[in-house]
Amino acid sequence: MNKSKKWLCIELGTLEYGRAWDLQTSLVDARKKRIIDRDVILLLEHNPVFTLGRRGGMEDLTVSRNFLKKSGISVIQVERGGVITFHGPGQLIMYPIIDLNAARMRVVDYVERLEEVMIMTVAEWGIIAERNSLNRGIWVGNKKLGSIGIAIRKGICFHGMSLNVNISMKHFGWMNPCGLRETGTTSMKQDLSQKVSMSKVCGAVKKHVESVFGINLINTSLPELLKKL
Amino acid sequence: MKEISELNLPEDLRYTEDHEWARLEEDKVRVGLDDYAQDQLGDIVFVELPQAGDTFKKGEVFATVESVKAVSECYMPVGGKIVSVNNDLEESPELVNKSPYGDGWFVVINPSDPSEMDTLMTNEACLEKLKGTE
Repeated sequence: MNKSKKWLCIELGTLEYGRAWDLQTSLVDARKKRIIDRDVILLLEHNPVFTLGRRGGMEDLTVSRNFLKKSGISVIQVERGGVITFHGPGQLIMYPIIDLNAARMRVVDYVERLEEVMIMTVAEWGIIAERNSLNRGIWVGNKKLGSIGIAIRKGICFHGMSLNVNISMKHFGWMNPCGLRETGTTSMKQDLSQKVSMSKVCGAVKKHVESVFGINLINTSLPELLKKL
Repeated sequence: MKEISELNLPEDLRYTEDHEWARLEEDKVRVGLDDYAQDQLGDIVFVELPQAGDTFKKGEVFATVESVKAVSECYMPVGGKIVSVNNDLEESPELVNKSPYGDGWFVVINPSDPSEMDTLMTNEACLEKLKGTE
């Protein structure tokens, strides 16, 4: 891949799930129509929310819908692959909007590269994470540290990966992670027994995206990008 | 990823830009995913198909396929009513990879406007287009 290739990068801070979903949908459409001529990555955190992938169902929640309602946490069914997952503050999300055909990248290669980005990122903090044949994503032992779920529309991918940085483990106990029983979830904070700087993790992810995908990132802002739409 | 020269795109089929294939069989159209798509997606683990009797317009999403935690949409090459679906894919989604033009077919459509077949690409046009994205 060409080192001179450039992707746009937008750091959004905390964004509500539904708004981020709408944004991705418009970016996919704009990328397909060549209104945006570059691939884009969005980096952000979500407020607490459970999402169910295409094949996910409420049976993977271990608490009642009523209980969730009282806790003020919604459950949203989305088009990505995978089953159930939880997003919340302290989890770094990356949503790449990439034209996979133009990049001549197979889906499996793309997913492996996302895993590689996460493995290299956490290694900077001395955490040894691995792939697991049971399930995609990255694992420390039988505990999941980072997840992947992708959707592809007209050859453009969206959704992406989530890395547990400082996120509280509480809500993960309310579900069977990725529909698998007898596995757990962990975070960088839990593994290291200390809080990790989210902005440093974000910086490391950006650096490894550049090396793993062989591209350069250009930082831009949402208003700047929206001007093009 | 397969080289373009390695792709198998049979001459008797027509193709969409999103790599569905369509084969005219008397007055019906059989549909599936082409060799480029099955290679690009990798091992397919789940296929979600419509039901016989469902009607879609050309370009509408009629099915999804899941591979390695990635869900891809599939689009109708021509509009019409679904008259038959390949139920074998429920148990054996890998047929899409193994036999994209044979046992891995998705649906048979009764086209509402058979002339829509003329809007699809020949195998040569499809190859030309792929070379253009290299």
